Amino acid sequence: MTVTDGTTDISKETLQAWKDGSVKAFEVVVRSAMRRAYAVAVGIVGNAEDARDLSQEAFMAAHRARGTFDVERPFFPWFYRILRNRCLNFLRKKAGRREVSIDMLIEKPGRSESPEKGVMRKERAEALWQAIQELTPEHREIIILRSFQELSYREISETLGISEGTVMSRLYYARKSLYGKLKDNLYREGDDQP
Amino acid sequence: MRYLDGEMSAAERTAFEEHLAVCGECRQSMDELGQVERLTGMMKIRDPQDDFWEAYWKKLSRRLERKTAWLFIIAGAALMVLYALWKGVTDFGEISFVKVVAVLLAAGFVILLISVIRERIHQYRTDRYKDIER
Repeated sequence: MTVTDGTTDISKETLQAWKDGSVKAFEVVVRSAMRRAYAVAVGIVGNAEDARDLSQEAFMAAHRARGTFDVERPFFPWFYRILRNRCLNFLRKKAGRREVSIDMLIEKPGRSESPEKGVMRKERAEALWQAIQELTPEHREIIILRSFQELSYREISETLGISEGTVMSRLYYARKSLYGKLKDNLYREGDDQP
Repeated sequence: MRYLDGEMSAAERTAFEEHLAVCGECRQSMDELGQVERLTGMMKIRDPQDDFWEAYWKKLSRRLERKTAWLFIIAGAALMVLYALWKGVTDFGEISFVKVVAVLLAAGFVILLISVIRERIHQYRTDRYKDIER
């Protein structure tokens, strides 16, 4: 049986084996969730190295706390709380001295482009990333979960432990804030997309 | 939000579009938020190369191995000290330089062990993850 939470499918048997102490099962769990864990951490802390270290620490913390995990529940929302706490504690310690990479966003594949438009898109991606990094951590994480992890409202609600109404209002204010920072880099529906 | 994110049913969508047709404020808001959504929808977070992911697991694996190794070392050393203490108490004989050194080493190790255990207990009590909700 597989307990699904959107993008991380790990069988109940694997989760039980991990809980019982199997390192092999832990490897399966890590390999299933590491990309998503890393991407979320990058979104929150802003650079690849810290995101890698924090997500690895979160996996070790999850491994130590596996006795409290309920195998009937999906893994990622449970793990996410550990990861999130690690990232937010890290940001609190860094307070203003955070290193943000500028090129963490790229355009999704499948878009043909001329070299000039490619440059414009790169600049736009950098502007978007910069604007996201200027948001509050709460707004940043909801944009990451919705826009880059493509989680549904229900999945975000379960992951963050908040109601779907709060998901909507938080997304609204996060996007409003992004709009304010990005006005000049946006285009309207029907415009010739660069 | 639900309109932009495709979380509305067909009926809700139709009703909302009828509302948008007559409400300039909502139309403007949807236009602004839609621009943000279109831009974020075009992008993704850069995914590292395959070797990054291989190293990712290997590092975790090494940490687990080291943790196990330390547990064995501490357990073995603790048993050795206990044995030495027992032998010292039951068969101490005359005081010699070697025995004094052994006692000092044993005492230092015991103090160190107690300190580590106390730290572990403190960490466990203040560990914010130990009560993670099921």
